[in-house]
Formats: sequence, structure tokens, C-alpha cells
Amino acid sequence: MPEDNQSHPLIDTTEPNFLEETFDYGLPPLIRFDSPVVEYIDGKPVEFDAAGLKSRDIVITDTTFRDGQQARPPYSVDQMVHIYDLLAKLGGPRGVVRQTEFFLYTKNDRETLDKCRELGHEFPECTGWIRAVKGDFRLVKEAGLKESGMLTSSSDYHIFQKLKFKSRRECMDSYCEVVDAAFEAGVRPRCHLEDVTRADINGFVLPFVERLMRMSEQVPDKLKAKIRLCDTMGFGVSFPGVELPRSIPKLIYKLNRELGVPSDRLEWHGHNDFHKVHTNGAAAWLYGCDAVNTTLFGFGERTGNPPLEGSVIEYIALKGELCGINTEVITEIADYMRSIGLPIPDNYPLVGRAFNTTRAGIHAGGLRQDERIYNIFDTTKLLGRPPRVALTDKSGADGVALWVNEFFGLKGADRISKIKCHKVARWVMDQYEQEGRMTAISDEELEQQVKELMPQYWEKYKS
Amino acid sequence: MASVEERVIDVTARVLQIDPAGIKLEHAFSGDLGAESVQSIELVAMFEEEFGIEMEEDAALAVENVGAAIEFITKVCNEQGVEV
Repeated sequence: MPEDNQSHPLIDTTEPNFLEETFDYGLPPLIRFDSPVVEYIDGKPVEFDAAGLKSRDIVITDTTFRDGQQARPPYSVDQMVHIYDLLAKLGGPRGVVRQTEFFLYTKNDRETLDKCRELGHEFPECTGWIRAVKGDFRLVKEAGLKESGMLTSSSDYHIFQKLKFKSRRECMDSYCEVVDAAFEAGVRPRCHLEDVTRADINGFVLPFVERLMRMSEQVPDKLKAKIRLCDTMGFGVSFPGVELPRSIPKLIYKLNRELGVPSDRLEWHGHNDFHKVHTNGAAAWLYGCDAVNTTLFGFGERTGNPPLEGSVIEYIALKGELCGINTEVITEIADYMRSIGLPIPDNYPLVGRAFNTTRAGIHAGGLRQDERIYNIFDTTKLLGRPPRVALTDKSGADGVALWVNEFFGLKGADRISKIKCHKVARWVMDQYEQEGRMTAISDEELEQQVKELMPQYWEKYKS
Repeated sequence: MASVEERVIDVTARVLQIDPAGIKLEHAFSGDLGAESVQSIELVAMFEEEFGIEMEEDAALAVENVGAAIEFITKVCNEQGVEV
């Protein structure tokens, strides 16, 4: 017998229930919570207010020009300025895309920063990124930035093996000297706890952040140190019950509630080495980080970072509304990135050429009857991308009919039945059965066949 | 003029490329005569062309065997004023 045996009688109906309170087709499917989230911290249950995400000022920050650029040849100044402009358009007036960070070391870096700021956008705010070197704050100050990230690596792999400190004490003192230099320069330091998911949390991370909090008590609010939790190797795990240092819930709890770092001074920066990057970012929001750091299309060092466009969709799903976000700009940015040589796989979610293209005939049949059956949301409205079919030997007459109707732009009662498309369907099948074809059929080929085999419709709708 | 039965069997044999003499009224298009998905569509299209009628897609595709097709087509012809 099951442990919690209950009877579940069928609730029969002739009217479908599409669960539209969650699957409102005009929005990404909403993430609705019906209970608090519980994690055991030091043996005691702790509740996290998941539903509170709706009212919290969670934001997306961007590192396309910093981490994103570490994974590819440099962007030109004009390219970066255009991408910055598109980020502003995407994030909207409420600043959902709140900040983006820039290198400051070369003439080109500084020229780009100036040109982006000349555009006059309030958001994303431009911030800097420097090494943990006191002298580098001169660059930040000269650039007129209010905030800069600085490397404060936190694992012993970095402290001893990379940075060659003789002890943790020496390391912490060194970092704190740089933080003091930032305060003196009137710049808010954002301490990047590199490799935090592989660090000794109790032995180094908590004492260091505790000291940062004490130091921050001595400066105005606008200068108080922010903390970026950097999951440098993608070791972070989002689900409950995992031990430190890999547990995202516990890491954030310790900083947020034990040390009192406010949520608006906590940021998550992930990497995708174990395919967890997007979920980990969303989990960081849930457990108390207000900011998730991202790059466009997840392009970043090695396996990349949380994809900005994925976070945008998650944001809407959590908030239940668009919040001023212009989702169609996601497609515009993807088109632009392709035009300057960034490879985006065809099956890449939300922007790949085939992300909402179905190949199976049975799926095409579903799409033909009601596009909601096999489309994630109204991709025409939100992304400017109607669902499509690509024809192969698996597409069947349903797939052909769907393609033909899309091609002619026919809807409702005007749609052409699959029976009227039978000659094109036969041509498609023969390509595979008679000609031994191994590839999908291109739109151009189909267009030619429709012209030849369905001349009466071509005459009616295309001439 | 050939009967509806003869014309249905003739079209079926042409589309499925089988001997008309082997087609029986109880034969299912898919199970017995081997009609594949696209061939089912072609059969309906060819019946429409042969008889000069328009058939409702879902109803026509729901017809399973030769005898039922003869009945269905006869009914549609009568409804659409086509003499058979």
C-alpha cells in the first residue's frame, strides 16, 4: 500500500480546462508558488518566502562585455554601443536589466564606456571590473563610475595556488586594503567571491564577509560593499538538502540572514559546467539574492553564464507580468549577434532558428488544430517568431499543410486542407523514399513545389 | 457508366498500385491494403477528383474500409447533386 493512500476519482467534463491561470498564452508560463520553500540550516527548518519574489525588487545584471568577452574575440566599440542600446530597450524603463560591467584597462574600454553613457539611458547602469589592486580604483574614479567589481577570490585553490598568499589572514587583509581604497575613492566595491562554491565557508568566506559588513558600517549607504557570489566552476546546486559549499540555499542564507547582507547587495554569478546555470540563477533569486548576473545567450568563459534572455523570461514567469520588458528585442539582439558572427545553435531556446519549429508530423497535426498544443507561449506576440514546421520524412501531410498555410498566411476557415496539399506531401515523401534524401527540406525548395503543384492557390494568394 | 463500387476499386488500385481483382469490400485501406499516411490523403484527393465532389477532411479520413468508402462517397454525391 502507498504510504499516504488517497482516492482520486475522475472529474469528468466535456469542457477542457487549459489551466490558463498558469498557462496564459500571452505570457511565458507563470511560476506560481503554493507554499513556502523549506531548507534545513544547521539542522533546523528555515522558510524562504518564494511568493515574495513577486514584490521583491529582483533584477538582472549583465556581464556580456566582461565575462562574455572572455570567450570570444573582442567586440568593436560600435558593436558594444549597439548591444548596450539594445539591452536598455530590452530591460525597459523599470530597469529590469539593471547594470552592466565594463573592463577599464584599454583606451577602447574607456571609449566604449563613454559612448554608452552618451546614449543617456538610465538603465543598465555602467559599472567597472578591476583586479583587487588598490591602484586600479584610480581607473574607476577617473571613469566617473559609482561602482566596480573587484576580484576577491575565496577558495584555497585561488588563495594559495593562484594568488600565492602565505595565509588566509594575509589574503583577507590584502582584500580589505583594496576595499578601503574603494571607499576612499568614493566608489562602491562589489566583492566578487570567486570560486565560492569550492571555498571553506566557515573558515574564510563568512569571516571575510563579516569584516566587509563591519567596514561598510563606517561608510554611507551608497558605498556599502556588495557581494557577488561567483560559482566559478559551476559547482553550485540549487535543491535543498545539499551541504556547503555547493548548496546555493545555504550559502545565501548564511550571508543574507546570519551576516545581515541585504538582498539588494547580493548577486549570483554562475557558470554552466554542469548544465545548471540558469536554474541556479533563478534559485539564487528565490533564496535571497536580488541580482542574477548574466550574459546574452549565455556566452561566457568556458561553458558560459546564465543566459540573459532566459532570465528575462524567468523574471516574467515569476512576476506574472511584463514589467516594462520589451521581449521582442530578444529576437532583435539575436539577429544582430548572428550578423556579427556569434554562433547560436538552431535548437537554442528562445532564439535558435528552430526553437519553435516542429518536425514530427503528429506535432504538426497538433499545431494545425491549435498552435498552443506545441508552442511554449505566444511566440509571435512576445518574440516576433510564429511557430513553424520543418519538413522531413516524419512530417506527414499535416506538416505539409501547416507549412503551406503559414506560407500563404491563411488562418481559420481560409486554411487549405491537407487533402489539397497531397501532391506536395507526395513530393516530400518521394524525396526520402525514392531519392534517398537525408536532410530536411528547405523553405525555398517547398516554395518552388507549391508554385508548381498547387498553381491555383499560388495564383490566388501569391500573384 | 461504371458503378460507384467499380470506380472506388479502380482509384484504390491506382493509388496503392495493387491489382484491382484482389480488392474486397471488407478490406481496410490501412491494415489490409497497406495504405500509408500520405496515401490515405491521396486516396481522398483522387476520390474527390474522380467523382467531382468535396469531402469533409476528417470524416473522409475516418472511413476505414472499401465498403464504407463506397457508402460514404455515394452519400456525399447525393448531397452534392452528383449523379452516380
